[in-house]
Amino acid sequence: YEGLNPGPGCHLFPFNVTIRSDRRGTCKGTHVVYACVGYCESSAFPSRYSVLVASNFTHNITSASRCCTISKDAKIKVRLDCPRGRHHDDIEILTARACRCDMCRKSRY
Amino acid sequence: VISQLHSSFRGCTVREFSFMAQKPGCKSLRIDTEACWGRCNTWEKPLPEPPYIQRHHRVCSYGRTRYLMARLPGCLPHVSPLYPYPVALQCHCTVCSTEDTECETF
Repeated sequence: YEGLNPGPGCHLFPFNVTIRSDRRGTCKGTHVVYACVGYCESSAFPSRYSVLVASNFTHNITSASRCCTISKDAKIKVRLDCPRGRHHDDIEILTARACRCDMCRKSRY
Repeated sequence: VISQLHSSFRGCTVREFSFMAQKPGCKSLRIDTEACWGRCNTWEKPLPEPPYIQRHHRVCSYGRTRYLMARLPGCLPHVSPLYPYPVALQCHCTVCSTEDTECETF
């Protein structure tokens, strides 16, 4: 999403998700879902003395930040199309419904 | 014009910052330094499989840093007047590391 160019703030952004029933993709379906993408405010500055003491003088810098987060989500059903009349149950996936600049979290990626 | 630039700015930059350096046993001292401010590109994206949310959370923080030493006034005889503080030489969007940073929201 680095190439995106939204203004400041945190906004819904649509993208396609393709669901496959197996590795070979015997049954598959595509649906538009929404991510939250944006530019939220953050700053970093020298830590207060109380922070320095509490961290044993390791946290010399304090970061006060907000990041773009999903504030409201919803489940939607994706129908999978199969060859030769085979059937696969619908798959439920998440989509963002609303976004907000809120607490930054540790990324898993 | 400056406030318009400020309200639409994207990125992470060095900015002037003033704070009161305080520690027990000394009088406080106002220090002007360079710190970091900005808006970094961040996102959360739903995934069909665990962990169900992929996120890219980066904050504007110190890239290259220099430390200066201030001398606090009026310190008691047994208290060192020296007060080291960071000066941002360059800022960048990065993961907030709890190893060397107090990560807070506001």
